[in-house]
Amino acid sequence: MKVLYKSALLVAMASALTGCFNKSEPNYQYFPNMYEAVPYETYSEVSAFPNGKEGQIPAAGSIPRGFEPYEYENTTEGYNLAKANLKSPLDASEVNLAEGEQLFTIYCAICHGDKGDGKGNLVKREKFLGVPSYKDREITEGSIYHVITYGLNSMGSHANQLNQKERWQVTHYVLKLKSEL
Amino acid sequence: MSSHYEAPIRKPLIIGDKNYHDVTVDVARPVEGRANKQWWIAFTIALAAFLWGVGCVAYTVGTGIGTWGSNKTIGWAWDITNFVWWVGIGHAGTLISAVLLLFRQKWRMAINRSAEAMTIFSVIQAAMFPVFHMGRPWLAYWVMPIPNQFGSLWVNFNSPLLWDVFAISTYLSVSLVFWWTGLLPDFAMLRDRAITPFTKRVYSILSFGWSGRAKDWQRFEEVSLVLAGLATPLVLSVHTIVSFDFATSVIPGWHTTILPPYFVAGAIFSGFAMVNTLLIIMRKVSNLEAYITIQHIELMNIIIMITGSVVGIAYITELFIAWYSGVEYEQYAFLNRATGPYWWAYLLMMTCNVVSPQVMWFKKIRTSIIGSFIISLVVNVGMWFERFVIIVSSLHRDYLPSSWTMFQPTFVDAGFFIGTIGFFFVLFLLYSRSFPVIAQAEVKSIMKTSSETYKRQREEQGNDNHSH
Repeated sequence: MKVLYKSALLVAMASALTGCFNKSEPNYQYFPNMYEAVPYETYSEVSAFPNGKEGQIPAAGSIPRGFEPYEYENTTEGYNLAKANLKSPLDASEVNLAEGEQLFTIYCAICHGDKGDGKGNLVKREKFLGVPSYKDREITEGSIYHVITYGLNSMGSHANQLNQKERWQVTHYVLKLKSEL
Repeated sequence: MSSHYEAPIRKPLIIGDKNYHDVTVDVARPVEGRANKQWWIAFTIALAAFLWGVGCVAYTVGTGIGTWGSNKTIGWAWDITNFVWWVGIGHAGTLISAVLLLFRQKWRMAINRSAEAMTIFSVIQAAMFPVFHMGRPWLAYWVMPIPNQFGSLWVNFNSPLLWDVFAISTYLSVSLVFWWTGLLPDFAMLRDRAITPFTKRVYSILSFGWSGRAKDWQRFEEVSLVLAGLATPLVLSVHTIVSFDFATSVIPGWHTTILPPYFVAGAIFSGFAMVNTLLIIMRKVSNLEAYITIQHIELMNIIIMITGSVVGIAYITELFIAWYSGVEYEQYAFLNRATGPYWWAYLLMMTCNVVSPQVMWFKKIRTSIIGSFIISLVVNVGMWFERFVIIVSSLHRDYLPSSWTMFQPTFVDAGFFIGTIGFFFVLFLLYSRSFPVIAQAEVKSIMKTSSETYKRQREEQGNDNHSH
């Protein structure tokens, strides 16, 4: 009887101690000394800036070290100029088709299809239509790079996902896919 | 009686023709009577000091350690000084109750109860410093090796500060058990004498149903002896571990192998001085002069003199080794102690600890109440300065002259220390009015060997030493 009473008391105490935890809210904390950041963390909300965001836009025209601005404009003329004149800066030793394949599979294949035939998953499931096959289009390395950078028609810019070198790797991989179609 | 031989050279430990009942009455009187005005005044002062200390501690914990005078060079100052001082004071209690028990010293019986109480109360004071000198005392439980959710993150067992945790907590718990075991027969005595139902109930609970049967007494004696045997290495190791806080470091002036025994000797020295201070007052105010006799005080003075001399030898050894080592940092550390900005602290320590106990060689001084009282206070001041000198003067000037600095305590440092003194006396004053301050059961056991009455009887009838 005494054992029963004691275990009942233990269970009651344990449930009393843990019962206050609510799954839909963050749990209670014991002396959260260095839990909240003193400096501004990336993506955090900051009241010091007018738009309340930690990520402020750099001044227009500033160029960070190790970055070259893209000279062609986001217009039909720019597209045509890039198609005609823009050449890949990567030499044969820098072209990494395996990396290009990985990046293509991640960022492009969902619409364009693993083979570049315009039969990606979203097209197969008819979420939207009208993705052309690379075979049917007149594309050069300059135009591919331009389109990845700016987007075209339904396609959006991928410049924020892929850096310059990665875009060129994808470009080379797209050319390889086109040659295989 | 007639089969007993007691050297006539031994002086009586219980004076004034006391019988068993007189002992009971004398010990129970302070507990059963009402507190007088002086007690209330003393208690109020102690309580005020304690509360002031609570305020200072609350201020420290709430605001930060920066309220203290410690700085980047001198991270330890009054906090650890007071910690070591209080731990040291506590040691005499165990010495008296355990070591003197092993050596069969009958004179310990009148003083061991209060000495143990002093141990427990001063270890409680000491234990507060390791907690509240922490920057984040609310995480103090991390010093315990408890299985946890940080991948079972444990403590590093290489730090003497962790050994301190184990040493102090073990010391406090063993002392408490030892003390309480001894209290059982005395609480039972108070229980049996109690008149009001309330005191009856209180002392019934405290005495754990002690009925004083032969088997109980036999086991009681065995437990006391075993605990004394355990407490003796404990008392030596506890202050050794405290000394390791310094001795295992690389600081010139700290890194010495002499520290463990020297700290223990210092602890006994300061502890006995504190016992003397307290008992000289207690025997007067509680009318226990028949039990805590001038001989008790003299014997304690002799221990103070011996341990004071050990401490003196340690000081000289340190100085010799510093010179002999050829290590310029070590040499400078001691030169700095003697002639640096804290020369006055070093001088005070030397005078109080080395010179003052030597006056005990004079019988006139060591058998004088007022003389003993003054020396006992002086010794505790000196021992406080010993810890201060070791800690601060070694830290404030060590390897890099660019980190040389000074230490200036703040009122919070002082307030915390005053608070612990207040708390100590709050506990001790409460103890002296609710606990049997003399182990009457033990004192009664020496009644027939060491009381004045029986000694006189033996003198008159002759010691029957050739009958067997």
